Amino acid sequence: MRYAAIVIGGGPAGMAAACAVKESEKVLIIEREARLGGILKQCVHDGFGVIRFGEKLSGPEYADRFIEEVYARKNIDVKVLTFVTSIEKENGYYRVSTTSGAGIETHEGENLILANGCRERTARQVNIHGTRPAGLMTAGTAQNLVNLLGVNPAKRCVILGSGDIGLIMARRLTLEGSQVLGVYEAKSSPSGLQRNLQQCLYDFGIPLHLKKTVTLVHGRDRVEGVTVADVDDGMLPIAGTEEYIPCDALIVSVGLIPENELAEKLGVAMDAKTKGPIVDQYMMTTLDGVYSVGNALHVHDLVDYVSEVSETAGKDVGRRKERATIEVLSRGLGYIVPQRIDVKNLEEKTTYYFRTARETGKAKLTVTVNGVEIYSKKYSALRPPEAERVSIKHLLKAGDELKFVLEEDDGGKA
Amino acid sequence: MADIGKIKKKLRKAGYAGIEVSEYNGGVRLTGEAEKYEDVLECGSLAVTKNSRGVINDVKVKGSKPLKIRVSEIEDDKYDGKSPDVLVIGGGIVGAAIARELTKYALSVVLVEKEYDIATGQSARNDGMIHAGIDLKPASNKVKYNCRGNAMYPRLSKELDVPIEMCGQCVLYTARWQKILFPLIKLRGAKNGIPVEKLNAEGVKKYIRDPGIKYGGFMCPSAGILSPYLMTVALAENAAKNGAEIYTDTAVTGIVNDGEKITAVRTNRGTFYPKAVVNAAGVYSDVIAEWAGDRHFTIHPRRGVEAVLDKKARKATSTVIGKFVIKSSTGKGHTKGGGVIVTIDGNLILGPSASETEERENEATTAKEFDEVFLKQQKLAPELKRSDVITYFAGTRAATYEEEFVVEKSPVIKNFVQAAGIQSPGVTAAPAIAEDVAKWAAEIVFGGGLKMNENFDPIRKGIPRPAEMEPEARKKLIEENPDYGVVVCRCEEVTKGEIKEALRRPAAVAAVDAVKRRVRAGMGRCQGGFCTPLVMKIISEECGIPLNEVRKKGTGSEIAPRRTKGGER
Repeated sequence: MRYAAIVIGGGPAGMAAACAVKESEKVLIIEREARLGGILKQCVHDGFGVIRFGEKLSGPEYADRFIEEVYARKNIDVKVLTFVTSIEKENGYYRVSTTSGAGIETHEGENLILANGCRERTARQVNIHGTRPAGLMTAGTAQNLVNLLGVNPAKRCVILGSGDIGLIMARRLTLEGSQVLGVYEAKSSPSGLQRNLQQCLYDFGIPLHLKKTVTLVHGRDRVEGVTVADVDDGMLPIAGTEEYIPCDALIVSVGLIPENELAEKLGVAMDAKTKGPIVDQYMMTTLDGVYSVGNALHVHDLVDYVSEVSETAGKDVGRRKERATIEVLSRGLGYIVPQRIDVKNLEEKTTYYFRTARETGKAKLTVTVNGVEIYSKKYSALRPPEAERVSIKHLLKAGDELKFVLEEDDGGKA
Repeated sequence: MADIGKIKKKLRKAGYAGIEVSEYNGGVRLTGEAEKYEDVLECGSLAVTKNSRGVINDVKVKGSKPLKIRVSEIEDDKYDGKSPDVLVIGGGIVGAAIARELTKYALSVVLVEKEYDIATGQSARNDGMIHAGIDLKPASNKVKYNCRGNAMYPRLSKELDVPIEMCGQCVLYTARWQKILFPLIKLRGAKNGIPVEKLNAEGVKKYIRDPGIKYGGFMCPSAGILSPYLMTVALAENAAKNGAEIYTDTAVTGIVNDGEKITAVRTNRGTFYPKAVVNAAGVYSDVIAEWAGDRHFTIHPRRGVEAVLDKKARKATSTVIGKFVIKSSTGKGHTKGGGVIVTIDGNLILGPSASETEERENEATTAKEFDEVFLKQQKLAPELKRSDVITYFAGTRAATYEEEFVVEKSPVIKNFVQAAGIQSPGVTAAPAIAEDVAKWAAEIVFGGGLKMNENFDPIRKGIPRPAEMEPEARKKLIEENPDYGVVVCRCEEVTKGEIKEALRRPAAVAAVDAVKRRVRAGMGRCQGGFCTPLVMKIISEECGIPLNEVRKKGTGSEIAPRRTKGGER
């Protein structure tokens, strides 16, 4: 049997995509872990689903809503503890090989939806030196240990990076009776969402140290301490500012990297800024029938948007035949998704997600088609950690120049 | 015998008038105090002469603390009173190879390793090259054992089911004129049976996609690669299969000798009474030699830092890349200058650096060393990027002042054999060193005629590696054991079956890093971010250890030592 779509990854993105595919089409979800839910399984804190469901859910609760739907749907097959070993493009379909306890299998799908999430950048990938003892781990690993395995890695810990997972873990470890000595951030502003800064740090009196980083880890078997130092504007440690902090764990939350090894092997074109594939407004990559969704596409701040984006891809399965794309040009943005637009298949409105390149005060986003302004929006302030979403009505045809420009309002001079 | 007066004069001339020079155990002993460690090193180097057994450098830096050996916290008498025929001290690749060779004889063999696992020192902190040996000093122990060992590896690889690849090493000239030296290089190689092939700038591109230096060079086709820690583990497993006992967390704390022979060896886990003792103690081999009663050399540790790159970077080169270093080619330099090393697992390694250190076991890296290594080696293949780096590590070489291996049956202590001062190319040389050392130890035990072990089985089957199998074989393996279908480490595609098997092998150690060295779980680009909790769970289930007691390395390295408030009990 040939599936209309094979979804790789059974986290929030993969599940939402699968559920959005027409019920008349067969879908297969391939999940490498033992249960559906992806990283939500270990996110026991609340705050998920405010936009989508209008209520604050925990990660597992948010996941459950989709898990129930997946299993209720007759057109969706699920394989867990199943790992994709290779994908081959055949004439008009994709052949996906997997390994699992059941053996080696191949599955055929007319479309592929890549929803394999992201991984965490490690301490060594941000130039932290010293030793590699127990107690040095990423925030996601710490979260897994505490929330899924029920074991606690830290008594007195330092957290590096003010990304959301780092902030969430600062609170989680505090609630577990661990002492969080401080959150250190090399940038001059925090990387996490404002609400997490408030609820996870300020509410618990955990200090946040900006423009400081960890340079060295000490201790051979177990972390005995870390050296922190001030950093300059280039984020390099300043000699003479080092300070030794005794602790038994260093939890790092220093960024997420979309996992795209499968996409790269397939020959999908990548965006150096998002580190995910280049897609159109239906999340289809440069390869016909291959979609990219969720954090594999770009790292989202909110799972609600992950679900939305993934549904767009799911709905598109088997719908379009011909495409004609134009590139989305931009200035002043950290990145924008989608990076191209299929002008042959425009819907009434097209949704874009973008991040500002740098922190701004008052700013204005202007969208032009062939130099003519078709949309603008004013912002009181923008921060790179918080992605923005805009839905725009536009008429486009092949050859048009579509451009997004973000300018900071500096008193009318811009 | 060395001319003590001459050395005194040399030291005085260099400004070290206060250093005492004396003859000791056939070597030259230096004592006294120095202002800084660099002075200690310089004194040691100045005291090297051809006609002595070596330099015993006991010069201390003023106010320096006495040497402290890191020893396991465990203290019991688990092995007290054991009297093996041969006791091997050190569980690196040299010790493991010796233990295996010893089991070819009808001998009882014990190997003690002070760390929680074998292969944690130089044998793990290593780029895994099987050196051709072109840059080694002719007529040295180093080149002799290197070339013999190199030739032994294809067979060893088959017997122990450890992959090797004779990928060759491309040595690039750093200046156009150097190509006129080729006939000399070729001649030098011929003396030791090392083939070399001329490469012009175009020829280099056959191996290296975009070489950073474009003057051509030469190819050493007999250079190869392997996983040094996997080879060490395999040697130890096979030794164990043939009757050797491997005791980890067992550190020698003293040796009793009666002036003629060793009578007892003390450890943190009891006293051994072996008939013969082998010193394969790496960076501490001079300490063991001292305790045994035959020290005639000094280890001055030399640090090296190496960076590991993502497998995606491997396409830059199919071969090891080195740079032509005249100093080492004339036998005067002590290092080969490092390079870009392809690894058997498909990564690239940049390095190693070389810097002298007082600390024998400092495995911490520094930003400065990393930057130097990266910038230096990147010049060989400029397409390599910092973002390709997935991790980096440091290790310490066991260098002597003579920069030579000490491989000998002790002429002083009758039942003592040394494989000391083994640094690069130690991995390559290990199998050959082991042959000689094991034979000498057997001669000590048997006196006259050697008795062979009739039941010796040279074969060790590796842990099955589904990711590298043909689909049919993989299918069959999973049918037999479904755990081989379940992927635990996603980056390296390591299955649950492999991890469980690694924990069941002889010389297995229930620690996350020990598993990592055996099956590569956690060695990929996420560096164990995803699989660490899963591996912990498997160790817990397989070995019956509570989750909060599962360790990363040795004692005291529990990854998550406490239960959470509502955690399962």
